[in-house]
Amino acid sequence: MSEEEYRTVLATLKEEAIYPYTEDEMQVVKSVESCINCGLCIQHCPVVAAVGLDSFSGPRSIAVELSRSPPEYWTTADVVYLCTGCGTCREVCPKDVDIPEIVNLIRARIFKHRPDLVPKQLHAADAIIVEHGLAFVPWEDPEEKVESRNMRLERLGLRYVPDQVVKGADVLFYPGCQAEERAQEVKESAKIILDHFKAKFTLLEEMNCCGLPATLLGDDKTALELALRLKKKVKDLGVKMLVTTCAGCTSNLARIAERDAWGIPVYHMLEFLVEEIGIAKLSSAFKQSTEEEPLRVTLHDPCHLIKHTSRITMDYAGQILSLIPDVEVTHSFAHDSCCGGGGLVSYHAGDVARAVMKENLAAIEETGASRVVTPCPLCTAQLEDSLFRQGSSVEVDDMTVFIAQRLPQKG
Amino acid sequence: MAKYDVVVIGGGSTGTAVARDCAMRGLKILLLERDDIASATTGACAGMISSGLKYMDEPNIVDMCSDEVVNFKRIARHVMEKNPIITPLLEMSDISSGGNFAEEYSKRAETRDVPPVLFLTPEDSLKIEPTLNPDLIASIYFEEYFISPFALCMLQALDAKQHGADIKTYCEVTDILTKKGSITGVQYFNRITDKMESAKTRAIVNAAGPWAHKIAALAGAKLELRLNKGAHVILDRRVVNVGVIAKAIEGRMIYLFPHENTVLLGTTALDTWEDPDTLVASQDEIEYLLKSMEWVVPSIRDARIIRTMEGVRPLIPTWKIPEGDVTRGYEVIDHEPEGVSGLISFAGGKLVMCRHMAEAATDLVCKNFGIEAECRTHIEPLPGNSDDVDILALAKEYGVSQHTVERMRARRGTEIVMILELTRDHPEWKTTICTCEPVIEAELRYAIRATFPQTLNDLRRRIRLGTGPCQGTFCTFKAATILAEELELSGADFQLEIVDFLAERWKGKRQSIRGEQIAQEELAQGIYACVGNLDQALERLDYDLKPWEEVL
Ligand SMILES: Cc1cc2nc3c(=O)[nH]c(=O)nc-3n(C[C@H](O)[C@H](O)[C@H](O)COP(=O)(O)OP(=O)(O)OC[C@H]3O[C@@H](n4cnc5c(N)ncnc54)[C@H](O)[C@@H]3O)c2cc1C
Ligand code: SF4
Ligand code: SF4
Repeated sequence: MSEEEYRTVLATLKEEAIYPYTEDEMQVVKSVESCINCGLCIQHCPVVAAVGLDSFSGPRSIAVELSRSPPEYWTTADVVYLCTGCGTCREVCPKDVDIPEIVNLIRARIFKHRPDLVPKQLHAADAIIVEHGLAFVPWEDPEEKVESRNMRLERLGLRYVPDQVVKGADVLFYPGCQAEERAQEVKESAKIILDHFKAKFTLLEEMNCCGLPATLLGDDKTALELALRLKKKVKDLGVKMLVTTCAGCTSNLARIAERDAWGIPVYHMLEFLVEEIGIAKLSSAFKQSTEEEPLRVTLHDPCHLIKHTSRITMDYAGQILSLIPDVEVTHSFAHDSCCGGGGLVSYHAGDVARAVMKENLAAIEETGASRVVTPCPLCTAQLEDSLFRQGSSVEVDDMTVFIAQRLPQKG
Repeated sequence: MAKYDVVVIGGGSTGTAVARDCAMRGLKILLLERDDIASATTGACAGMISSGLKYMDEPNIVDMCSDEVVNFKRIARHVMEKNPIITPLLEMSDISSGGNFAEEYSKRAETRDVPPVLFLTPEDSLKIEPTLNPDLIASIYFEEYFISPFALCMLQALDAKQHGADIKTYCEVTDILTKKGSITGVQYFNRITDKMESAKTRAIVNAAGPWAHKIAALAGAKLELRLNKGAHVILDRRVVNVGVIAKAIEGRMIYLFPHENTVLLGTTALDTWEDPDTLVASQDEIEYLLKSMEWVVPSIRDARIIRTMEGVRPLIPTWKIPEGDVTRGYEVIDHEPEGVSGLISFAGGKLVMCRHMAEAATDLVCKNFGIEAECRTHIEPLPGNSDDVDILALAKEYGVSQHTVERMRARRGTEIVMILELTRDHPEWKTTICTCEPVIEAELRYAIRATFPQTLNDLRRRIRLGTGPCQGTFCTFKAATILAEELELSGADFQLEIVDFLAERWKGKRQSIRGEQIAQEELAQGIYACVGNLDQALERLDYDLKPWEEVL
């Protein structure tokens, strides 16, 4: 058949808004197929709880209604961009229905075929990713970046461990875009920890985004390209494992590393500490507290760890905190709840993201803790922003920073 | 006693088309349907308004069908969709079955605004439809239009009504009155009022589908039909991107067609003498379809089947040839020569031909009456097809989700504005009642008020209530409450309505139940029997088990 004939077919597909599923996608569709409309997920979806079914028809509707017919995907744009991708629905679902994945699939269709219906803030975000290979516009002046870093180190009382790129190192530390460009203290803290435990680590020569934001906004092409670029860098460095401090990166890197056969494991820093360094070493690592009162800390669970990777990571978080002298952990009843920052919702629907966060804030205040700790710089930023707006006195720390601060300073 | 020019018997695609045509030509019409509009054969068909796919060796029928497609595009575009269709060829011998199809199809393609038949390479075929068996050697590609059979019949009936026709559902014709060999009236049992009623008429058009011979017999006329049943298996969602046609185990062609938000796997063709009312798809039919489709779409057996449906084709009686060789044309039979003047019957036909059939019958009626009136059914749009609908703007204006508005549009076209207007006074009616489709309360209320349903099952035909993967698990109790309120049903009738609807859903579920649908059924049982206690209520309710509910 000629090129031209095939184009005729494609023209019809386009006109009738038929967007063929690929074979991989059929697996996702297959999972959604098993929904029995029990409604359990609706009771647990943080967005439904926050804004109500009239504004966000929820995971069940995504499974039994919105995802049934590709020609109608374009009409779902007012709903699917409000899902934070937290994965709560998938976890409570008795049929293992994979809502976050079908949401990504639908968003990718809309992005490709009806870009006019994608929130414009997401197009702006995409433009940055495409141009810079990073989720944020990088610092224009490298000196200013260094200055900002130094200020953060000073404020937090952290020492500086120089950046290093070492071929054949054991560990590749991957900070992710947030810790690279914005929350630099997280990247610095990770280096401190790795250095403290004498891990042979390296950074990337040039950082690039893991592709999660591109996936979430539907730009599959860019996401794939970033993933392949990263794979090449990882392979060139010849490391044995990858460690990151971002929850989103952890789940996404684990996914793409398996999909693209990287052949190395991906760890969150907490997993690395417990599984590679070991509790025994950790227990003697922390310096004695100089505080009079124990610090009351509560943990926030990043969805990308507990719902997309493994619940074990947060058990590790609890174990590690319990090793730190004079830290008292209180559990928040919203310990399982999304910060509202996922799924890029906060980019275009700040009111929804904030409404989701509200539940969390109330629960955090309830615990009486004076500090929230969470192993993700994105959750940290989201929580910090919300607590600040609310005029709360509760402080927020990224857990990597919290740990680094409690390791003895050395030269 | 009411007096009519023509009484139309049967509210399927044929009957509603006849009522519309007659009414548009100024005749005084009564349509009698013993159940609901599109409740029989029409409701079980695939809705393909085919260009003549299966009868390429009957060129005049192909011409007619092709023209009808063009007519439908003019009058009913809002309830239509176009499906690309792939016929994968697994071996060279599959090609011969193409026959002169490509040539005949392509000749008329342009008028329908579709490309000619194309041949696709295996690679391109798989790109379009990755579920195909990768061993295919090529595929044939063409495009066909589909229409929602329920919407078509409903719109024809409503349009007839707007042109002055009386449409009466749940009225079963029990006798035809004649005087000196001429039709004078009909007698019918009105199941709503529970009374025998009658009407005077000069003529009767017998559009009773597979029951047409029985209607003819009431007037002492003879009509023979070759009844042939066919089953569809319905999948929960669009698991294929495009339609797929395959050769079945004995060489017939079967298909997998995307249909609204589901996929239809069909169909069988078996000569039948069973009662069309209680027919259900058999295990053999389901297995025949799965086995046959499996060769070209290997994953088909893993798909989720939500139900089956079965219909009976009223074919023209040609015997001693396979069903596939029976003409797909139709006959309009004037029973005058037999001594029954004023009775006109149909044999054969298809959904795609219903307007054409109606035109022929109405021409004959007019000729017999000595009236000159031109047919306009192919020119004047059906209700709701007057304009494009701006989904995004309406969703925003009324604060209803875009998908809800789009699904509504696919049923009612421009008329959805009337539904959405209801939400101004009743914002609470934006609540979703059927979560699979979805259907909001305003649409349900509107359908009850404007389209004369008597039961939840009637609402299913109008707004697809309960047709999704959960098969009424979640909408039945909610919809029954609203129906009870609107129609002022008693408590017992409210409960009966629920049981009846669930029983009707069970009719299609029972034969194919497997996999996820068993879990789904457990949930439905949990809700209605355990929580709703309806199993206990049955005895009080004076409910007779339906034939398909009997425990084997
Ligand atoms: C499985 C299957 C698939 C098909 N697919 C297609 C397709 O894709 N495309 C296509 O063009 N055609 C298709 N057809 C054919 C098409 O469905 C029929 O030809 C057409 O629907 C017949 O419509 P009808 O109005 O004549 O009959 P029906 O729809 O059966 O209507 C007859 C009506 O008469 C009523 N009635 C009977 N007795 C009485 C009485 N005593 N008093 C009052 N009312 C009475 C019945 O209740 C019924 O509603 C298919 C058929 C089958 C079985
Ligand atoms: S992923 Fe989270 S936000 Fe999205 S539908 Fe599921 S529970 Fe709701
Ligand atoms: S919990 Fe799972 S099975 Fe139940 S409604 Fe939600 S997606 Fe469907």
